[in-house]
Amino acid sequence: MRDRAGPASSAVTVAEPERPQFDAIVVGAGPAGSAAALELARAGNSVALLERGPFPGAKNVYGGVVYGRILDELIPGWYDEMPVQRWITRRQTMLLDGERSMTVDFRSQNWGRAPYNGATTYRAEFDDWLAGHAQKAGAVLVPSTVATRLLCTERGRVVGVRTDRPDGDLTAKVVIACDGVNSFLAKQAGLFPGDQAEHTTLGVKETLALPARTIDERFGVSGHEGVDIEMLGCTQGIPGGGFLYTNYDTLSVGLVLGLKGLAKAGKRPEEVLAELKRHPSIQPLVRGAELVEYSAHLIPEGGYDTMPQLVGDGLLVAGDAAAMCLAAGIWLEGVNFAMGSGMYAGRAASKALTSGDLGDLRAYRTLLESSFVLADHKKLRKAPELVLSERVQQRYPGLVCDLVEGMFTVENPRPKPGVRKLLRASAKRNGVKMRELARDALTGLRSFG
Amino acid sequence: MAESLMPLIVALLRWTDARARIDPLSGEVETDPRGAGPSEADRCALEHALRIAEAAGGRCAAVTLAPEPAEEMLRDALACGADAVLRVDVPSWDSRVPDSGATTARALAHAIRTELGEPSLVLTGDHSADRGTGSTPAFLAAELGCAQALGLVELSYADGELLALRRLDRGRRERLAVPLPAVCSVEPAGVRLRRAALPSTLAARRAEIPVVAGAVAAEPVTAHAARPFRPRAKELPPPPEADPRLRLLRLTGAHEHREPPRVVVTDDPAEAADELLEYLRGKGYL
Repeated sequence: MRDRAGPASSAVTVAEPERPQFDAIVVGAGPAGSAAALELARAGNSVALLERGPFPGAKNVYGGVVYGRILDELIPGWYDEMPVQRWITRRQTMLLDGERSMTVDFRSQNWGRAPYNGATTYRAEFDDWLAGHAQKAGAVLVPSTVATRLLCTERGRVVGVRTDRPDGDLTAKVVIACDGVNSFLAKQAGLFPGDQAEHTTLGVKETLALPARTIDERFGVSGHEGVDIEMLGCTQGIPGGGFLYTNYDTLSVGLVLGLKGLAKAGKRPEEVLAELKRHPSIQPLVRGAELVEYSAHLIPEGGYDTMPQLVGDGLLVAGDAAAMCLAAGIWLEGVNFAMGSGMYAGRAASKALTSGDLGDLRAYRTLLESSFVLADHKKLRKAPELVLSERVQQRYPGLVCDLVEGMFTVENPRPKPGVRKLLRASAKRNGVKMRELARDALTGLRSFG
Repeated sequence: MAESLMPLIVALLRWTDARARIDPLSGEVETDPRGAGPSEADRCALEHALRIAEAAGGRCAAVTLAPEPAEEMLRDALACGADAVLRVDVPSWDSRVPDSGATTARALAHAIRTELGEPSLVLTGDHSADRGTGSTPAFLAAELGCAQALGLVELSYADGELLALRRLDRGRRERLAVPLPAVCSVEPAGVRLRRAALPSTLAARRAEIPVVAGAVAAEPVTAHAARPFRPRAKELPPPPEADPRLRLLRLTGAHEHREPPRVVVTDDPAEAADELLEYLRGKGYL
């Protein structure tokens, strides 16, 4: 019977291998895994890059923006070769309430020129491209192979993984777990504290096909320029948010929904998404589009305070497996944090392999702390809690829409009301006390400031 | 069975994208090389080839006519236990020959003979997943000058004899003793391709894939006009019976008495033609 990865699986105790087959095993050929394998292979180490799908990118669900600055370090000149759908030149944050919406819209043509800022991409193409670089550097990609268990010595040092293939044990001096959200390997190593469901969301996404010219017209862009829309107040009271991204001739529209909130609400995610697509601000954008894909995936959105231990004995954890996804309201980033953490994991592992002292793996955390990866997460550690709070989710979108509607509704012959008066009235109507508003503003300022 | 020793069993794998998308407006077929691979029928053919090679003490080779990305498929075949692989090169997906199967068969037969030797048995899927007619195996049998048994659901080799089971209409089966050398095409049934072990998978990742130029003279296909296929409507009155069961029996033709098929085995083409003509006359077609 095939060995399978799962919550009930546990590490296997084995004897210390005399000659490990590889210097390092990287589990998962996503952005974190391929970045780690690339760093290790470039340093001359033998690397096995295990991928459960038939090719890198085959198994992911993604509809977002890849911010490529970290690639400057990893693959100089990346923007000339990376598979890009559209370069994001327009960014919107939209608050929805009932049939109303308030949008902050920013455009910069600078983002449509080198060195660019961020791009939409199909992860099947992007992951394949990044893993291709790792392979060219010498990493051995092993597709259609699931790492089901860790191989550990009696002293608890990780010395390899067991896969779901016959004769499937693979040994190495270092293992880097980039096996994605809900990492069974990190759990087997005892690196995760407690229940993850509270800090995990469900991302659901539809890919909708439209002619490129129609997308250009509807979103006010041209050529390979694209738009990123983040939404709040569109989840029917379930903690979460919405998104809409333009690809070249498709749209990615979806929701991120808190797992426990979704279960409590007793609603199907596709119903909530269908309702979002019917909103007067969204419906004209997606009208007539052909549904070509529906997919769903878990997202680790808890941030800094919910991360596992990043370093074990002979084991490093990176990417979504380490809850590196940054969900901080105005900043929603994941792939760049995955690539960054993978790159530093590869660098730390390489250093430990060179010195022969696995204690040097601890440098991984130092590297992360001195970079944007943990610095941003640490700074924004309170942001996920604030963004997913009941007030931000259910009351502030209504408050803002009431306020703006009051400001722009002309009620002659009555004179225009003052903004303070409108704010107080809107807050009262939406059950927000001014004291709470001030406190949340202060928390936001501390988090984002 | 002409010979008990089977030195070369060839599994022919067609590299195809089973999830190809067809643009409803232009009719253009959009394929993705990353998701491409052998069809389920081809995977069964490879498993049969591996089993027969093991049973007969022969060599198993996996061959494809495809561009470079198809080498992943051949690596998988090596990992599963193929002794040799061969890619007959075509520059791109689109340049695979969209012909009746004759040109493809000619290119494959030439490559197999020159690079691997005379095959004892060639196995392949019954037809490819992308617009396949299933005619390539028949053309290949003609090219190689050997017997053919197509559309098989079972294939076994024991005591030097290759036995096959073929699906016929109305749920019937035909048992065949296949003389060698032969070309057999199999349906995606009966066996499942084995899961490759990790050591052989790792070894296959590093293996060199032999490539030969495809000696294919592609005949250009020109579409002078294209229109949707709209067959003329045919009126089919429902069965007159009131009982639903009887209507069902009438529609399916179950329990009807039929003349059993007469199997004619002859090597003489003239004799075979006479048999055929007599049959058609008997049925009132001539």
